[in-house]
Amino acid sequence: MALLQIDKISKVFGTNKALNNITLSINAGEVHALVGENGAGKSTLIKILTGVYFPSEGSLHWQSNPVKIGSPKEAHDLGINVIHQDRQLISYFTGLENLYLNTKYPKSGLGINWSVMHKEAAALIEKWGMNIPLKKTVSEMTPSERTMLEIARAMMSNSKLLILDEPTASLTDKESELLFQFIERLRKEGVAIIYISHRLEEVIQLSDRITVLMGGKQIITLPKEEVTQERLIHYMTDGQASMGKNNRAKPAIGKTLLSVNNLRTSDHVVKQVSLELHEGEILGVYGLAGAGRTETMEAIYGLRKIEEGTIAFYQQLVTNPSPAHAIEKGVVLIPENRHEDALIMGNSIAENMTLPILSKLTKGGVVQRKEEDKLIDREMNRFQVKAVNKYQTVGELSGGNQQKVVFAKALLSEPSIYICDEPTQAVDIMTRKEIHQFLRDQVSENKGVIYVSSDLHEILEISDRIIVFSEGRTVANLPNENIKPDDVLEVCYRFQKEVVHE
Amino acid sequence: MIAQTEKSPNKIFNKSVLSSYGTIIAGILIIIIFSVLSPSSFATVDNFINITRQISLLVVIAVGATLVMSVNEFDLSIGAIASLGGVVSAKLATEGVPIVLCILIPVLVGFLVGFINGSIITHFNVLSFVTTLAMGTVIGGFTFWFTGGSTIFENIPDGFKWIGQTGIAGIPMLSIIMLVLVLVFWFLMTQMSVGRRFYAIGGNEKASKVSGIPIKKYKTFAFALCGMLAALTGALLASRLGSAHPTGGDGYFLNAYAAVFLGMTVVRSGIPNIFGTLFGAAVLGILANGLTILEIPTFLQNVITGMIIIIALIIQKLGRENT
Repeated sequence: MALLQIDKISKVFGTNKALNNITLSINAGEVHALVGENGAGKSTLIKILTGVYFPSEGSLHWQSNPVKIGSPKEAHDLGINVIHQDRQLISYFTGLENLYLNTKYPKSGLGINWSVMHKEAAALIEKWGMNIPLKKTVSEMTPSERTMLEIARAMMSNSKLLILDEPTASLTDKESELLFQFIERLRKEGVAIIYISHRLEEVIQLSDRITVLMGGKQIITLPKEEVTQERLIHYMTDGQASMGKNNRAKPAIGKTLLSVNNLRTSDHVVKQVSLELHEGEILGVYGLAGAGRTETMEAIYGLRKIEEGTIAFYQQLVTNPSPAHAIEKGVVLIPENRHEDALIMGNSIAENMTLPILSKLTKGGVVQRKEEDKLIDREMNRFQVKAVNKYQTVGELSGGNQQKVVFAKALLSEPSIYICDEPTQAVDIMTRKEIHQFLRDQVSENKGVIYVSSDLHEILEISDRIIVFSEGRTVANLPNENIKPDDVLEVCYRFQKEVVHE
Repeated sequence: MIAQTEKSPNKIFNKSVLSSYGTIIAGILIIIIFSVLSPSSFATVDNFINITRQISLLVVIAVGATLVMSVNEFDLSIGAIASLGGVVSAKLATEGVPIVLCILIPVLVGFLVGFINGSIITHFNVLSFVTTLAMGTVIGGFTFWFTGGSTIFENIPDGFKWIGQTGIAGIPMLSIIMLVLVLVFWFLMTQMSVGRRFYAIGGNEKASKVSGIPIKKYKTFAFALCGMLAALTGALLASRLGSAHPTGGDGYFLNAYAAVFLGMTVVRSGIPNIFGTLFGAAVLGILANGLTILEIPTFLQNVITGMIIIIALIIQKLGRENT
């Protein structure tokens, strides 16, 4: 009998089907892994199981009874708990206090009965053989102690289904091994586990069954015996060969526009990155989540502090990086997060477009409206922005049209280097095509483009050359000739393994 | 949303009208009510000119608060800066310093205090709310030391009182100064790149940073301008009263923010704006004036004024959620 039966679940956001007809059963005492690229639908599925989203279609059965999970509290009450990458702990509370966050504190009269709390907690970690310093505050704990604390908290309420979302992301090899032993123990006790990880070896090592998701669809569910890493990668990429990519003549690679040498950021998310961008080239940047792609782009643009290494625009070293300097040098960033970093949603299309070039449009402190309007009208026309008029608030536009405003804004600063971070995320197919075409036109005018995407097919479709990131490092530099998605993914996983086992 | 509109178009329409014009309608209603209740003293040209003078100082300090709020920060030290400006100005006047300098020097002091506020907040990335609260305490202590705790009123030359107590062609100087400042700062906020950048930072600081705007510089500038206007308010107050008390400007602080918030309800998007602030101060001024003429006791005036501000905020919020 299945503990949880997921029946034909779909989830629609606007016109986008984030999940399409998923049917899974999760058994007690089973480790069931979910794998897939970013945007495959793993998070959406988890959010449905934990009551954050309500499914658009389909049904759930919990221990054979139909259930509707309306809130995270209801999921928790059923015995479903999730442990996220970003931990849900209060950092200045002690381990003990955090353990009791979701539960009623034992009371004596009006006050909290601390001695009962200590006893209960000690019994719990004793029972599970966990090693958690309950008296330390969370901020003093190691990442692995924090992970264990979260699991312990889930077990306080007799969790029957535990969802682990990238639990090893911040753990060392040894710590991961301890976690795996513990998962084994939970499994033996009959706890069901949904395990999500980008690290395929550990998925294969731990899981009883593995489900591959892609683009919201369930590609296949494989039992342990039938799984190999090659097979998984094959399914994760849909077995497609390279799309033959750019149907355009090989570009004449020109002078070096940008060179990054052994870059390391102060927060160490970027550890060792080197890359070069030339005139007339689209450089694809690919890597798994957490590989440090976005962070590298931010560092180049002057948004993130650098500890070591160099950045040079047109062979000139950048001594004091800042967005203002980058814009002045003809470098423009199309940020990954449109809402937070690219646009001011409450301001008009016009105000957004000319923000980086206001100084050029200003005489004696006064903005020259006529000149400004001319530029804005020209770009509104070029990009075919669908809006009431240029004074419409950007927040009211569709995702695709917002992204057109972002590109118009970028073009107005007359850049020669485009840094595009997931530029086609959440835009419609037409706009995506237009964006690709726009960038191709730009490189044919001797501009250079860095194109970051989590969509491997897109990377293969648009890039002339591909840089692969893994764990904060650049690990491969591949000319885009007859490459298959499998080849790129394999590089990702191979280097990830090497780094982990360093 | 769409379904709702189809069901009850009238209701939605009313709400959106309320949210856009609610404060304006309320302002007009207040004027009508006072005019009916007291036609002989309220509804006269003289009284309206009088009201412009009564609100002038509030408008000047509130314009400063509007600038700081446009970059999405608060300055809680404006009352203390106004008090400081007042005593510095009065002290200089008693020393026989030329009148122009009696105004200019406190204005520079205010600019400097605001600059320090802004520098601390942007450089150390600390909350403006707490920083300016503490700065207000520091300035208050300094002002107290500077005056020995007593009002400065002896030996103030008549020339110093000229600005605050006379007028041109029947229009008080203070009203003229207010009008000029409103126009100058309206121009700065809407027609100049400085204003665009202020609003951009207030709208989305991160995106503004990505667009190459030096956030720290502009925020600090907003605080400096705010400090400058607060100190000017104090100096003008001293000139009007012919004296300066070490806490004389403190009372303007809460009313200034009330005016800015009321002003934000005048525009659809709910952002701080100069004309809105003028309007908000006018509503507060008319209320105070009319209620005083009707001989409503002060405590009841406070209750009514406070309630009207709360109602205006609620109406705008309701209207925005439903459109």
